[in-house]
Amino acid sequence: MAQVDYAIRVKNVTKKFKIYGERNQTLKEKLLYAGRAKHKEFIALDNVSLDIERGTTIGLIGVNGSGKSTLLKIISRILYPDTGTVEVNGRVSSLLELGAGFHPEFTGLENIFLNGSLMGLSKKELSKRVDEIIEFSELGDFIYEPIRGYSSGMYMRLAFSIATLIEPDILLLDEVLAVGDAAFQAKCMRKMEELKNKNRTIVLVSHDSNAVRRICDEVVWLHCSKIFEIGNKDIVIDKYNESFMEKQLI
Amino acid sequence: MFSRIREVYDYRTMFWGLVTSDLRTRYKGSVLGFLWTFLNPLLMLLVYSAVFSLIMRSNIPHYAAFLFIGLLAWNLFSTSLSSASGVIVRQASLVKKIYFPREILPLAIVASSVINYIFSLAILIPFLILSGIYPSWSWCLLPLVLLFEAIATAGFALLFSSINVYLRDVEHVLNIFLMAWFYVTPVVYSLSMIPHKYAEFFKLNPITDFVVSFQGILYYHQPLRWKLFAYAVLFSLIILGIGWMIFNKLNRRFAEEV
Repeated sequence: MAQVDYAIRVKNVTKKFKIYGERNQTLKEKLLYAGRAKHKEFIALDNVSLDIERGTTIGLIGVNGSGKSTLLKIISRILYPDTGTVEVNGRVSSLLELGAGFHPEFTGLENIFLNGSLMGLSKKELSKRVDEIIEFSELGDFIYEPIRGYSSGMYMRLAFSIATLIEPDILLLDEVLAVGDAAFQAKCMRKMEELKNKNRTIVLVSHDSNAVRRICDEVVWLHCSKIFEIGNKDIVIDKYNESFMEKQLI
Repeated sequence: MFSRIREVYDYRTMFWGLVTSDLRTRYKGSVLGFLWTFLNPLLMLLVYSAVFSLIMRSNIPHYAAFLFIGLLAWNLFSTSLSSASGVIVRQASLVKKIYFPREILPLAIVASSVINYIFSLAILIPFLILSGIYPSWSWCLLPLVLLFEAIATAGFALLFSSINVYLRDVEHVLNIFLMAWFYVTPVVYSLSMIPHKYAEFFKLNPITDFVVSFQGILYYHQPLRWKLFAYAVLFSLIILGIGWMIFNKLNRRFAEEV
């Protein structure tokens, strides 16, 4: 039997967040309330396991607060799970929040190098791709302007261009496409399909059923911090949409 | 541990980006700008040497030169720590939103302080010569002492920067603590002025070893006191190990706590 090549393996991952009413952050408070700090626990992910084969595109769907973004942050190693393990094979490029890793005072061009270096690329690697990135972003001469003047659409164009054109093995996207115009969204779709054809792995969080249907191979439906349904995109998305009709989950 | 080092190496472009931006922004917006890199230690020297040669009357010959050597060595340590201790919290927006080996943040600050130290040699060396202390072979040992002081500083920087995320008081307590630490380190006085019965106790302070080594090679033209320096080397490696280990443990919840 051939060994399956997994890009991402999430095994029994549980993640709890502490929610502090008011945080005991100073020494005095820590000593006074030691061990009985007033916090509630919120379970963001409850024993979630998910294997993603290399070359597949996975869509994560679910209502707000169901754990989609937490899962993505755990895969990208920003957060660490409380229990369970995560194994990620390959270079990850993630686009989780608009404007993360950008410096508002720098120009678009300088930010390409800044953002690229934050993803672990060397100057040499970036220099090779910088023209391509500028061209894809369609920012034209705005690339020489400080990005504090950019619109959110322009931010997204730049961020998406960097994240995809550095040729990551694994691309993680969290609901960022929504701010682009229709033409650019379509261009992003084509770019993702191109990455798919190159056997790259994509994990996408989106509320846009059409986008998910078009681009994803499989869909994972998270509900109340657990994987509720996983499998064929059409079946899962239809079920997800029906659940709203019947209001059985709300 | 080796995989961590490998990863930090992979992020070297980001590391140098942070180092250069730290050096550039250190005195950004000030009229004199980069000149402060040289002016700062000179002005400090002026204050200390006024107090200790006019009022407190130190009997060390070439006192200003002696003081300057120790002051720069101390500054490397103390400015690194006071800046590094809050760095994870200051860079919260990065820590929360993207992945990168977080060690880079405090390590880049230490690296920029080391570079700053090297710049200030451009003042120190002419100053020593003007004071009548001429270069000798023992000066060649400077990079070695500097290297291990940097390693020890990096260890402390990792330690304090990670603890500060959970206990924000560290940053504030540290400044008082550093002031006290300065006076138990033989910078304004020499090791030989310490009463004999306390001398051993003062030698336990690892920063003493670095300061004394700098004074030894630059001021007294002595080769390194190997026993003392071996202790410093051992200490710096141990503190780096402990600092990195604790940093790695605490690192897991950084994104939630900052």
